[in-house]
Amino acid sequence: MLSSLDPRIARLALPDAPAALQPKAAFDQFETYEVFHQKKDGAPFSYVGPVHAPSADVAFLFAKEQYSRRAACSGMWVVPTSAISLTRYVGDQESVYDVVPTPAPEAPGVPAESEDYLIFHLKKRGKAHTHVGAVQATSAADALEQAKRAFGEQRPVVNVWVMRRADVLTSELEDRDIWSTTPEKKYRDAIAYKVQDRIDRFKQEHS
Amino acid sequence: MYGSVSTHDIPAQASTGLENEDPQLLAEFEARIARGEKIEPDDYMPALYRKQLIRMIEQHAHSEIIGSLPEGTWITRAPGFRRKMAQMAKVQDEVGHAQLLYSAAETLGKSREEMLTDLITGKSKYSNVFNYPTPTWADSNVISWLIDAGAIVNQMANARGSYGPYCRALERICAEESFHLKYGHDAVVHMATGTPVQRRMMQEALNRWWPPIMTFFGPADKASQHTEILMRWKVKMASNDDCRQQFLDMYVPKILEIGLTIPDPNLRKNEETGKWEYTEPDWEELRRVINGDGPCNQERLAVRRAAEENGAWVRRALQAKRQAPKAVRPLA
Repeated sequence: MLSSLDPRIARLALPDAPAALQPKAAFDQFETYEVFHQKKDGAPFSYVGPVHAPSADVAFLFAKEQYSRRAACSGMWVVPTSAISLTRYVGDQESVYDVVPTPAPEAPGVPAESEDYLIFHLKKRGKAHTHVGAVQATSAADALEQAKRAFGEQRPVVNVWVMRRADVLTSELEDRDIWSTTPEKKYRDAIAYKVQDRIDRFKQEHS
Repeated sequence: MYGSVSTHDIPAQASTGLENEDPQLLAEFEARIARGEKIEPDDYMPALYRKQLIRMIEQHAHSEIIGSLPEGTWITRAPGFRRKMAQMAKVQDEVGHAQLLYSAAETLGKSREEMLTDLITGKSKYSNVFNYPTPTWADSNVISWLIDAGAIVNQMANARGSYGPYCRALERICAEESFHLKYGHDAVVHMATGTPVQRRMMQEALNRWWPPIMTFFGPADKASQHTEILMRWKVKMASNDDCRQQFLDMYVPKILEIGLTIPDPNLRKNEETGKWEYTEPDWEELRRVINGDGPCNQERLAVRRAAEENGAWVRRALQAKRQAPKAVRPLA
């Protein structure tokens, strides 16, 4: 049996040698969701990173824990990775709209219903995608075309993400209390530790 | 928290595989990095770049998750409520860092599931210092301060690297580490400037941790074609020796000013060369411990494995409601 200096681990009575692992089911880890946050009221939403979750609601909980626990924000959006369409990446000085092919005109038929699509731009490689606005479109390809008309003048645009608004789980304004942190959590801030005072006192006493 | 990935485990004569890469794509890739642009997941990248980054980011992630164990063990026994809360917040941060890093590695095509499996089967490694125990509260403080300090030296260097998702993750991580460093420094100073018993406890902990700390950045890099290429591609940003020198420059004075001594009679700064001289760390011990024969290797992996097994029913329950598997590779 495994012996440990930690009484809690010693109590687990873990076996000494590694037992054979049960093979895990594929996709045990759940699908990924991409998370965007709003740093403060009025600021655009920007990309913070992904989470793995079994559903959008759980993804939102994980995202809140992971991305707002330490860095304050005033809003959060969560969207399945699979619901995002993206362009290719171009260089830092270019605009991807210059190389987006214009889609062929749609064959006549019943016009598809248009709906809201959210548009995100990456301005510089290594930075975060930022929300620039929404367009009305009938498909992701159409949304990109609309985005080119609406935001194509902006430069540089290294990469564009397009997603249906309906696929995005958003935090509500009326729930904004969930983003506030209690003031007694100062122990998580570097500034709360006045180390130098104590060092100086020590040096004075021992000089 | 994380020590350097050494290029040592690559055989010197191993092929770089570059002859299999498309020369034009490779030239564009190198030109992009030379211009200071970052590489994003959908870009072309040489197989060697992808492989080395996966290994590096994955080891970094494992180090965070395993590194939370020697400190986590002291949460219930931390002296006082404030320190208990702070220790808990720090450990929580480290686990959060692991999540960020696993995601960054996933963009390169290795799933989080595979990485966690490779961790608990011992196939992939983590920073070797976490194979040593924290017998006292003071040992935990030494990790909070000096291991985190070493990790910051490494992470600040890596944050200037060429891979976009890794840079984004490191930006968040470095911001949080500033609290860890200050918290750790505060805890060590508190003990070192306290009662004679506290002081002795801290000195003994430092004596125990100094040898692992000196191996933290890994042995001096071998001059090899691999090292040269990885530096050019901004995968490896600073040599192991440079990181160690920078760490000693920054922290030896801070250790000495609070009246602690460093258990190495040969440690001194050569004023002519501007370099620190020290007793050569025991690289044979490092190799032995990395390969499983350290005081805590068994325990670290057993705890991780137990967590994995004990959480299986939750994943199964959540999975039962789900449709067919979907996208599991994050975008950026």
